[in-house]
Amino acid sequence: MSDPPVFELGDKLATRCGNTLSGTFLPNNKMALSAYRHKNTDAFGKPEEPEAIRAISEDPVLIYIAEETSLYGEPLLRSLLAEANTTFTTLQKLDQKAAKAEFVNISQAYRSIVRACLEKLELAKATPEVLMDEQRLHCTSDAITTFYAIECLWQLFEILYIQGLQKQIIVPQLLDWTRFHFPLTEGRATDLLLMAEEASDSDDYWSTLKTLIMLGEVGVTAAILTQNRKANRGPFEAAINMLKAMPLYQHGYAMQKFCSQWEFWRAEGERKIAANMFAAEPELEILMELVVGNTEKWDAGLAQSNDWYEFLPGYLLYTNPTCKPFELRMVATAWLNRWSRVKPDWEMKSMSRMIMQLMQHDLKMFLYESQRLNDSHWFATHLIDLIHHSGQLNAYCQQQKVDLPSLRQSMLLEFGSYLMTSLNLWQLGIDYLDSCGQEGYKAIETILSHIPLKSERLSLKLIALAKQRNLADVEQTICKVLARRCYDEQRFSSALEWAIRSKDPVLVNGITDFILKNYSETGIMLCKDVITYIGARMFISPRLVFLCKYFEFYELYRKRDFLPAAELLINLLDSKITPTYFWPSLLMDSLPLLESKDPKLFSKETITILRYLELELEPLIERNKRETAEFAFQTSKTVLRDYRVENIEELVRMLRYACSRNLARTFIIEGTASSNK
Amino acid sequence: MTGTNAQNVTTYYISEKVSQVRWLPELQQQSDRFVTGSWDIAKNYVRLWRLQQNPYVNQNVPIVPCCHDKVSMEDDVTGMEFVDKNTLAVGCGDGHLSVLKVQRAVEKDQIQRKARSELLHYFKSANTSRSASCTGVATFGTDIATVGDDGRLNVVNADNLQQVKRTIEADSVSLFAVVYANHQEIFTANGMGVVRMFDARASNEAQPNIAFVVGCQDEKNFNGVSCMTTHPMQKHILLCGSEEGSISVYDLRNLRYPASYLGAHNSRITDIAFHPKDPTKLFTAAESGEVWLWSEQKSLINASEEQEDYCAWLCGERVSDLVKVKGVLSNVCKPINSIDVHGMRLVCGSDAEIVFLADNV
Repeated sequence: MSDPPVFELGDKLATRCGNTLSGTFLPNNKMALSAYRHKNTDAFGKPEEPEAIRAISEDPVLIYIAEETSLYGEPLLRSLLAEANTTFTTLQKLDQKAAKAEFVNISQAYRSIVRACLEKLELAKATPEVLMDEQRLHCTSDAITTFYAIECLWQLFEILYIQGLQKQIIVPQLLDWTRFHFPLTEGRATDLLLMAEEASDSDDYWSTLKTLIMLGEVGVTAAILTQNRKANRGPFEAAINMLKAMPLYQHGYAMQKFCSQWEFWRAEGERKIAANMFAAEPELEILMELVVGNTEKWDAGLAQSNDWYEFLPGYLLYTNPTCKPFELRMVATAWLNRWSRVKPDWEMKSMSRMIMQLMQHDLKMFLYESQRLNDSHWFATHLIDLIHHSGQLNAYCQQQKVDLPSLRQSMLLEFGSYLMTSLNLWQLGIDYLDSCGQEGYKAIETILSHIPLKSERLSLKLIALAKQRNLADVEQTICKVLARRCYDEQRFSSALEWAIRSKDPVLVNGITDFILKNYSETGIMLCKDVITYIGARMFISPRLVFLCKYFEFYELYRKRDFLPAAELLINLLDSKITPTYFWPSLLMDSLPLLESKDPKLFSKETITILRYLELELEPLIERNKRETAEFAFQTSKTVLRDYRVENIEELVRMLRYACSRNLARTFIIEGTASSNK
Repeated sequence: MTGTNAQNVTTYYISEKVSQVRWLPELQQQSDRFVTGSWDIAKNYVRLWRLQQNPYVNQNVPIVPCCHDKVSMEDDVTGMEFVDKNTLAVGCGDGHLSVLKVQRAVEKDQIQRKARSELLHYFKSANTSRSASCTGVATFGTDIATVGDDGRLNVVNADNLQQVKRTIEADSVSLFAVVYANHQEIFTANGMGVVRMFDARASNEAQPNIAFVVGCQDEKNFNGVSCMTTHPMQKHILLCGSEEGSISVYDLRNLRYPASYLGAHNSRITDIAFHPKDPTKLFTAAESGEVWLWSEQKSLINASEEQEDYCAWLCGERVSDLVKVKGVLSNVCKPINSIDVHGMRLVCGSDAEIVFLADNV
């Protein structure tokens, strides 16, 4: 773990106030650092101590918002997140009874993602694009270090706890693991092999061979020795034969039989050394002494090694090849003691410690430490989830009182929320939140409705996600926000569309009112092309029904289709959904129909018009008069605001005349028609 | 690990949410270059990819796409179409249209921006003035039509982006899709499911008032049209994919009612495309992460019906019997935003930051 970053606020105020620095955590992993003291919007208007006011007013206050640095700003790591997400969702579909092999597959899939990503990062690190960009180079290097450690830890974890090798020997797997993570010697060995006989003269010939032996590479060592110039001499021949004769455990072989064979081989080796068979070649003798596990020689070898666990699997190969996972704990502890005796001033780093914890079966601490890696909990979250699903450590967790399900849930919640709120990774984050129960559901609800709605395309995707999860509230919120935004930008058609999508009658009413009032004031109908296609969706609110029906009337009237228009108008009058402010406008619309040359309205309908004139419009005018009288200074508060308001008395009188004229006319026609029958 | 039905689908993680994919046009051979456009990340790019031998020894995946060049865009890439062999029209979330030129080479192909239009899509009112997103691009000859959130339909020529040939106030709500039926008739679709026809040659006032609404299952909700395409041989057949996941087919010679209406996916259809050379095959992509292949069953068609302008998609209720559906991609779980097919290959771009390549489709 590197040291925490140090901040320094160099402004005047901070210096004068004795460098007082205050910090506050903000949502989304941010921290606000302020010189002197933190202020938020609540603090405005509150009295400050006089001293403080003086202090602040003299100098400008600087506020820094420090964002948590995250590795995932590097684009290449986005694909790590995306791939891991795919594997994660696959894992969620496996149930606990799935075969062990399936979980091993998943674990390997995660590791291959990390490995592929490391490869890509290494390639990218060499490209001019990254080399020129210091910050990106730094980030890439950081990512390589972190994910390299993760891969190493994950592989060991897989060997010890996921493959389920409790009753089997693990030395071969551990050897593979160390070889993979200490590849330098192997590379050097290849060089030596290619050099054939020449290799014998290399300066590092014997040191490489020793390391190879300590890494358990018996076969390669024998091959290199065979190429030595002196390969056909006695000591070399004996050594090569001994290495080749080393019994290796094969799966399915009787353990007892293997042990006795191996004991015999080892005793034979010790006997040969004691008989000074290799004395003529001192370096070769050291090699053989390592092979039989000579303490002194191993201690000398340890002094050369990089980390405490580097040669442990090799040592096990020569001293305890049948080591089982449960024995590893003792062995590792003993080995570590020995290591610290050899290197007393060695300081243990985080990764070495985590490997120790794994080998010592101290998973509780391991899981704790894994959360301190610089990967925003990528490793801990996926690993804990995998442990939970595979169920292999249930007994351990019970014994250690680790509540694995809730640990998993909180990790998923945190990781999911982190993804959903950063770097536009909400589509990935939501899968993690989906898998952590009610809390996750609530988190989705909160976060989804707070993602900035940059475009309609994005909004539609968010709505689709909300719909999938039956989050009607979120869907409504998003639609409402968009409706409101469109309304503020005077895009009334879009506002109406989003309001209808939101299914919120209040909002729909608000916008419908605006359209109707605008019409009665200016005679201009807004949003014509939307209203035309509202169709059955109008039933969200009676006001919208009224608007749609009125629009229908408006269109018929415009097309001079008067008879159906007249019928519709009477229906509207009778409908009881007419908004109060629209009565004058609606009744005035009947005037041309009443006054037209050939009658369009029958007596009954005319009476209806008259009735609403008296029942609705008259009281309205009365109330209006009263209100204008009371609030003479506030004329805008009145209900009647349109262009007809000044002449309302006049208009009402005209309407009454028109009605009576039409009544007279229709009585005659209707009377004639009925008498003709 | 991604679940796919067919063995022949390969996946590539490209670290970008993909909004658009298009094959580079090739007349004679199988195209091995494609372009992708990204959206919703800090820096959006149009990238040029080429399929190459896998540098790693991996027998399962013999060819992989390699990014040869890229062009940085100002905002989300929302529409991409090729005007000709090397000219790409790109609609962008900032309301501008760009024309990009591709240069093919033996070693390393290049892509560069040649021109960027003035602001084509914007909101303007008493209290607002801001750019609106361009939401779709369609091409015919050298003409490019763009539609946007502002309801405008613009027609420009690829050789002169600065001069807008025609601006039509097509709609008062956001437009989602645009398609050319022929050199002058352009169809636009909006979020309420209204499809309108416009004439690229007529002025704003003289536009024909032709519009229809696609069908939907739930009368209480809007069923927006999210994508449209025309039949590559019979241009009078228009297919509309919708928000609810259904496909409406129209015969443009008779717009009074849809020729067919099919329930398909259970989420928004994000892209719909005929195979350009083999119109018996139709591909649809959906928000829920599916790509389906619809193939006309030739054997089921009666000889008596074998007329010149016969098309299974116009057969109303019977379409579901005449067309067989097969899943090309499924279980992706993240939206597939765009598909394109050329020869034997299909390329799909997804929000899972994956490019899928399907062979032998």
